[in-house]
Amino acid sequence: MAAKSIEQTIETPRVAWVMGLAAWAVPGLGHFLQKRFGRGVLLGGAVWGVFFTGLLIGGHLYKVTEQGWAGLVQLLPVSANVGSGLLYVFCWLTNTGFAEQAQRVTYEYGNTFLLVAGLLNYLAALDAFDIAAGRKE
Amino acid sequence: MRHVLWMAVFAALTGIVFGVVAKGTDRQRLFYGLKVFGEFIAIAFVLGWILYFLPFP
Repeated sequence: MAAKSIEQTIETPRVAWVMGLAAWAVPGLGHFLQKRFGRGVLLGGAVWGVFFTGLLIGGHLYKVTEQGWAGLVQLLPVSANVGSGLLYVFCWLTNTGFAEQAQRVTYEYGNTFLLVAGLLNYLAALDAFDIAAGRKE
Repeated sequence: MRHVLWMAVFAALTGIVFGVVAKGTDRQRLFYGLKVFGEFIAIAFVLGWILYFLPFP
């Protein structure tokens, strides 16, 4: 007898997308709006901490400046940086943190901090989305 | 020394995020975060010593 597979489609509530977007835009906000203050403080604090430490120790943010294939290569670090949400947008608007500071001994660490801040915030945004969608406790 | 300090800061903050978003009880997530922190530090030291012996010009 062939096994029957039962598929159940559960629609994702719209608020989950809003929470995910809020968590991406301002690290920690998506959890605060859901009254998950502990998670918000830890996740937001960690992402903000990694981001500002990266700037402090000489890292720089990326933006697409080249055209063609070279520009495509720049998309990877830019997509990681954009994960920091409005922090990146603010830096972009004020042209802060884009200058390379290769004379500083920790500038490569700084670059890594800034890249990872964005990637960690993507994780935090997914966490906020999952909580709002009821997929996570 | 400065690099080790920033590496530890990086490992700690990353460990916090990994621990918070992980599934399981609070205790399991705490240990997972500590494990991630320890792994970052341990792997960095191992890679550091490997690179130390490589004859880069």
